[in-house]
Amino acid sequence: MAPALLLLLAVFALPMLQYAWLSTQAQTVLTELEPQPVGLAQWQRLLQDGRFWQDAFQTLRFGLCSVGLELVLGLAVALLLNQPLRGRTLLRTVSLLPWALPTTVMALGWRWIFNDPFGPINLLLAQVGLPTVSFLGDPAITWLSMVWADTWKTTPFVALLLLAGLQTIPADLYEAAALEGANRWQSLRRITLPLLSPYILIAVLFRLAQALGVFDLVQVLTAGGPAGSTESLALYAYINAMRFLDFGYSATLMLAAFLLMLLLSGGAVLLWLVSRPRWAGGQR
Amino acid sequence: MNRLLLILWSLGPMLWQLYTSFRPNATLTGNPMQGGWTLEHYQALLGGNPPFWRYLLNSGVVGLSSTLLTLVVAVPCAYGLSRLGRKTARNVNVLVAIAAAFPYVLLFLALLQLARDLHLGNNLLALSLPYTGLSLPLAILLLQASFRDIPPELEEAARLEGLGLWQRLRWVLLPLMAPAIASASLLIFLFCWNEYPIALTWLSRADLLTLAPAMARIAGASVFTVPYGGFAAATVLGSIPLIVLVLVFQRQIVSGLTQGAIKG
Repeated sequence: MAPALLLLLAVFALPMLQYAWLSTQAQTVLTELEPQPVGLAQWQRLLQDGRFWQDAFQTLRFGLCSVGLELVLGLAVALLLNQPLRGRTLLRTVSLLPWALPTTVMALGWRWIFNDPFGPINLLLAQVGLPTVSFLGDPAITWLSMVWADTWKTTPFVALLLLAGLQTIPADLYEAAALEGANRWQSLRRITLPLLSPYILIAVLFRLAQALGVFDLVQVLTAGGPAGSTESLALYAYINAMRFLDFGYSATLMLAAFLLMLLLSGGAVLLWLVSRPRWAGGQR
Repeated sequence: MNRLLLILWSLGPMLWQLYTSFRPNATLTGNPMQGGWTLEHYQALLGGNPPFWRYLLNSGVVGLSSTLLTLVVAVPCAYGLSRLGRKTARNVNVLVAIAAAFPYVLLFLALLQLARDLHLGNNLLALSLPYTGLSLPLAILLLQASFRDIPPELEEAARLEGLGLWQRLRWVLLPLMAPAIASASLLIFLFCWNEYPIALTWLSRADLLTLAPAMARIAGASVFTVPYGGFAAATVLGSIPLIVLVLVFQRQIVSGLTQGAIKG
C-alpha cells in the first residue's frame, strides 16, 4: 500500500501544495527564474486581469453547455441502447469509438470537417444553396463548434454510465406504471429520472471536472482563437508557464481554475441533495 | 431509424477522414466531384522523419510500461484496502474517487518541475511514473471492488491449507480477478495512449514523441497551407490501433468504465 500512497501524494497532493506556495511568489524572467516572495500580489493581479475573467467565463460557458448537451444526448443514446434491439452490442461498440480516440487526433479531424468552405458540412450547405458557416473563424460561433466536437467525443462515456444505471431499474416498475395509465413521458419523468439521478450526478461531476480543465481540444482545434474567444483557463495557465515563463502567475491560475471546479461540483452535489426528496415525494 | 442516426453520428466524421486521406490535396480545395485517388499522404507520413509508425510505437511502449507498473503498485494497495473495515474503506475511497475525477491537466506545471529536477525529461519509461500515479485511482477502485466480490471463505480455506499471502494472491485471488484486471489494464492503456499535456511538456525530441503531442505538432506545423490530406491520413493511422482495441475488447472496456464510476 505504501508505494501506491506515496505515488498518489507525489502526483496529486504535492503539486497542489507547490502551487499554493508558488502563487505567493514571483518567478519570471525578471527574477531570473528564481522565486521571490510577493505575498498576495499574484492574487490581486488575477482579480484585475481581464483575460482571466474572460477565460473563466469562456471555460464555464463551454463546460456547462457541453456537459448539459452530453447529458441529454447521452440519456437518449442510453435509452436507445437499453431497448432489446438487434445488433445492440455492435451498436454499443460503434458508439463507443469516438470516446476512445485521442483528443488531439479527433480535434485535428474536426478542424478539417469544420473547414470553410471545403469541409463536408459547408460543402453540404453550399450544395443546397445556403451560405457557408465560418465554424472556426467567428468568435460568436467557434465556441459552439468546440462544444459540438466535445459532445461528439464524450457523449458515449455519459451514455454508458447512464446505461449501467438504467439496467438497475427493475422492469416491473414500468409495467406497474403502465397499468396505472402512465404514458412514456410520465414514466420517464417519475421513474427513470429519479432512480437514475445518482448516476447522472456521477456523470455530471466527472464530466464537469474534465470539461472545465479543457486543454487538448482547444489547443489543437482553435489554439484559443479566434481573437481569444475559445481560450480556456488551462490553456491560459499553460501559456503563462511555457510562453511567458511566468510560473508564479501560472500556478495562481491553476489554483483559481481548481477552486472554480470545486465550487461548481459542490453546487451540483447540493442541487442533487435538494432535489432528491422532491423526486422521492413525487414517486408516491 | 434512431440506430442509423447514431451510427452516422459516430462514424460519419471518421469516414470523412478516411475518404479525405486517399484524395489528392488539389481535389480537396477544388471541385470535390473530380480527381482521382492517391496514396501520397500515407507515403509522406510513413516516409517522414521520424516515420509516423514511430509515434505509435512510442505510445505503445509508454502505454504498456505504465499499465504494468500501475498494476504492480495497485494490486497490493487494492488488496489492503479491501481488507479494511467497510467504513474506513469508504472514506478512503471517496478520496480516491476525487483523485480519479481530478482534472489532471492542472498538474502539468508541478510535474514538469519534477521532471526537470530529477532529469526525467525525454525518457519514455520515466513518463510511466506520472502516468502510473494518474492511473492509480481508477485501478485501485476497480481492483478493490473485485477483491471484495471474492468470498472471504475462499481465502480463509487457502490460508488453512498453509498458503502464504503471496501464494494466496498468485494462485487463488488473482485468477478470479482476471476480468477486472483486464478491464483496468485496458482503461489505463487507453489513458496513457491518449494523454497529451504531460507528454507535451516531458518530451521534446521528435523521435520520442507519443501519438498525442505528435498529432498536435503536425497540426501546428502548417498554419497557412492546408495539407488536409496529410492531416486526414495522420488521423486515420492514429485511430486504427484504438479502433482495433475497442472492437476486440469492448466488453472489458465497457464493464471497466461502468464499474469504475459506480464503485467510486
